[in-house]
Amino acid sequence: MTEFLQLLFQGVSLGSTYALVALGFAVVYRSSGVINFAQGAMLLLGAYAVSWLAVDVGLSFALAVLAATVMLALAGAALHGLVLRRVVGQPTFVLVMITIGVGIAVTHGVEAAFGPDRRLLGDPWGAAAFEVGGVTINTVKVWGIAVTAAALGAYFAFDRYTRWGLAMQATAADEEATLSVGVPVRRVHACTWALAGALATLGGLFLAGFPGAPQPALGDAALRAFPAIVLGGLGSPVGAVVGGLLIGVVEVLTSGYAPDSLGTNFYAVAPYVAMIAILLVRPYGLFGARPVERV
Amino acid sequence: MRARLVLLAVVLVMLVLPFQFGTSALTTATFVVIAAIGATGLNVLTGYAGQISLGHAFFLAAGAYTGAKLGEDLGWSAALWIPAAGVVAGVCGALVGPIALRLSGLYLAIVTLGLVFIGQHVFFNAESLTGGPQGRTFPPVVIGPFDFSAGQVLRLGGLQIDSNGLYYYLALALLAGATAFAWNLRRTRTGRAMVAVREREIAASVMGVDVRRVKIAAFTASAFMAGVSGALYASYLSFAQPGEWSLLLSIQFVAAVIVGGMGTVAGPLLGSAVVFALPTLLKNLPFLPEEAAGGVSVSDLSSIAYGLLIVAFLVLQPRGLVGLVNQPKEAHS
Amino acid sequence: MRPSILAVAAAAATSLALGACGTGDAGGTSGGSAVQGSIKTGPGVDAGAKTIRVGDLNALSGPAAALGKPVAAGHQAYFEALNARGGIDGWTIELAVEDTGYQPQQHVQAYNALKSDIAILNSFGSPTTKAIQPLFGREKLVTIPASFDSIWGTDPAVAPVGTPYNIDIANALDYATGGGAKKLSVGIIYQNDEYGADGLRGFEAAKQSLGFTDAGHQSYKPGDTDFTAQVQKLKAAGADAVVVTALPSATGPIVGTAATLGFTPQWILQGPSYIEQLITEDGTAGAKPTPVAAALKGAIVTSFSAPWGADEAPGMQQLLADQKQYAPDQTPSIYFALAYSQGIVVEQILRKAIDSGDLSREGILAAKEHLGEVDLGGITPAVTYTPEGGPPSRNTLITEIDPTVPGFLKIVEPAHNSDTADAIEISQ
Repeated sequence: MTEFLQLLFQGVSLGSTYALVALGFAVVYRSSGVINFAQGAMLLLGAYAVSWLAVDVGLSFALAVLAATVMLALAGAALHGLVLRRVVGQPTFVLVMITIGVGIAVTHGVEAAFGPDRRLLGDPWGAAAFEVGGVTINTVKVWGIAVTAAALGAYFAFDRYTRWGLAMQATAADEEATLSVGVPVRRVHACTWALAGALATLGGLFLAGFPGAPQPALGDAALRAFPAIVLGGLGSPVGAVVGGLLIGVVEVLTSGYAPDSLGTNFYAVAPYVAMIAILLVRPYGLFGARPVERV
Repeated sequence: MRARLVLLAVVLVMLVLPFQFGTSALTTATFVVIAAIGATGLNVLTGYAGQISLGHAFFLAAGAYTGAKLGEDLGWSAALWIPAAGVVAGVCGALVGPIALRLSGLYLAIVTLGLVFIGQHVFFNAESLTGGPQGRTFPPVVIGPFDFSAGQVLRLGGLQIDSNGLYYYLALALLAGATAFAWNLRRTRTGRAMVAVREREIAASVMGVDVRRVKIAAFTASAFMAGVSGALYASYLSFAQPGEWSLLLSIQFVAAVIVGGMGTVAGPLLGSAVVFALPTLLKNLPFLPEEAAGGVSVSDLSSIAYGLLIVAFLVLQPRGLVGLVNQPKEAHS
Repeated sequence: MRPSILAVAAAAATSLALGACGTGDAGGTSGGSAVQGSIKTGPGVDAGAKTIRVGDLNALSGPAAALGKPVAAGHQAYFEALNARGGIDGWTIELAVEDTGYQPQQHVQAYNALKSDIAILNSFGSPTTKAIQPLFGREKLVTIPASFDSIWGTDPAVAPVGTPYNIDIANALDYATGGGAKKLSVGIIYQNDEYGADGLRGFEAAKQSLGFTDAGHQSYKPGDTDFTAQVQKLKAAGADAVVVTALPSATGPIVGTAATLGFTPQWILQGPSYIEQLITEDGTAGAKPTPVAAALKGAIVTSFSAPWGADEAPGMQQLLADQKQYAPDQTPSIYFALAYSQGIVVEQILRKAIDSGDLSREGILAAKEHLGEVDLGGITPAVTYTPEGGPPSRNTLITEIDPTVPGFLKIVEPAHNSDTADAIEISQ
């Protein structure tokens, strides 16, 4: 039983970082119809930014996280302003490929700049842990869950109760109409991408927490979050969060209990198998809606 | 007429090329031509039929391991395992095709992504077929008395063709076949139906296009060419690991199709020349730091370059290199 | 129109005729052996300029880069120092380095590009060197692997240094179980390729001989970052000790994940699973400790070179002097020391070949096979090469991780030997 609880805790911890990642995807998709394949690279960049600021530059950890979040938010807005704005109106395929291209360039750029080895994150928690009823609880994981909950709460409050949140919802629903009402749609888009960058920093930071570390392979975690957003439905932030948590728990429980016959590392593909199965039955995800197209 | 002359010049240059190139350049050229076969296939799927696929690496792998099983484990001649590789991959494509019927756009992209991951998972674990993470050897091409193994030299009249040259010519012949197929396809009903599906799927089905058949045909043809390309690629490498058939490989093929010019005939070869010759080009750049000093590795630089190339072409010149060449013509029309 | 087509065709035909008659390099001569002056030469040997080219296929990127870079630095420093001393009887050594990222596939490609230009080869890694083994065997190219796989003892073309992995594990398990006295449950996590396979061989041999309970074999592939599955299974099986045949990029997460799951077995790390950077940020004594350092304390490591700066090793002084002069940025590293001793091996083989007047492939191979004992200055155990082959050594340097000593490895048994290890068969 303790084994199950232990794995469950790991799963919730991992799931909360996936939820952050998935939310980043969902936010961007909702407002611009693009799946940001560069989200993984942004995760990576966020983790490395924190590591660099905390370890090499010597800032206090909290300050490093804050500064990194701001840097990534600016990077996200820059990505939109410099690149994506120029390809408005192009087919989705083009936009997807552009984010893939950016993702590849940034991921390898980070590896080129910092080298292929694992780095220190510079967090104050390290391997610190305490025990509750036979279950080992790592401090960094507790912080991860707490920060995720706070970030999600802040996002949903922002979305519901602020004008910018309303503007984002409106832009997502009908861009032309929103533009005609005088909302600065371009700035809303930039804001969306900045938000994605900020979420990526937080997600990357906790993915790089003990026993992980900032390393070039960190960005691959975003690829595992895809099934999460598809399961939840591409346009739904709530669906993304639920999907993220679910995928995290499924992944860790599969790690612990999958029989050897399914192969080593089956946990990495289990979400995709589940996703494909679900898509075959419900082609737009569990909560997604079939788009209406004018012929 | 001018187009025919250009075509003739290109063909002649490509035929004579191996005799002018040293081994290193010839090896790169051979990889480019082999990749172009696969790129032609992806061009049919994405350029003609508009289906987003990130799963090309899977079909390449299917062809490669078919070739390994039949050519090396069972000892068949290459005249059999090369087409067989195409057929097996084509069957995989036909099985994936129906998925595209249910899904479109981004959902299809993510599912093909899943295909690559699940494929790699299977390949890493199927040790008897793939050698597991360590990898395995792949058979050299042997057709009757012609042996393409390293070190073999074919003497024709006064000419000596080494194994690199042999692979090059074989790949060139297969590429010519694939290109002819693709060029012809565009002018047939199926080809036009593919374009219709790409542009406006619902309208096309309303007009009587059998969308189901068109999509399955596109996946099958694309996968067949990928299978042949993959089998030849692995054979030329002589050793490959399951890690080779990765998302990055799929993206390289997509990049080749985009950079060359989606939906065009010359696009796949032009794009492959840029994308697959990139690592070698970068290695020979004069200002690169010495390998031993642990400077930026060539593979990192190549990858950064791919990423930027994709972005640059899509933002600035979505019609690719072919679009660049055709622009003056269009300015006049 | 027609004249233009004719012109193009004529141009093509002419270029064909004027150009080489062969594709690639087939038109030219291949590097066969020849006699120049009084010495027989072969590929990679230039008797006129008196240079010998040594190939170095290394891992400067990828999952093994942390080990490959000090190895490359060690080779570089050794040969630079050698050349500065006048080379080998006036012959200078040129190093041709290629990065293959610890990928067997890249290794094969790089080998094919290098092979006709080199006289002798350094090759990093077990799975990578295994992939080119049939190739260099065919070419009779002597290869010095940065790998302690036991299979090298059976290959005449290979000049290995250090105790094989399987013998190391057998000795370590003998030590950990007190010669079979303690009844332990032991599991193993290994890399799923040739390197891990050799560790597994040692584990199996020890199991037969010492009779401990097998807590399971868990594998992973190079580049994996998550080990929850593997560690969880070993924990569930109740392992008291776990053998780790991995790369440091995996060791850290494996031990760290175990700590987060509350699992603290006796870790037994195969040599290359350990690197100084696992304990502190940059591997030096004064630097910030890593989060996983605490969990690694007390882990057994089967090391392969003497501690950095050890007085007991006479060759260490020269190593330090050369390191200060030719690789001043190098931090203490057992991999640098290993590579340095490999340089000594290469020098001795080439020296003997020069003395015999035969630097062709066959000559260098003969020199290696009849080299006899080579003193490596105590940096790594002395090796003996004979036509019968066999492992370079059957003794294991057993150490324990202790963050307070230099190099963080405290010597527990300088040369542990056991019946289990002696029973393992390795010969041609």
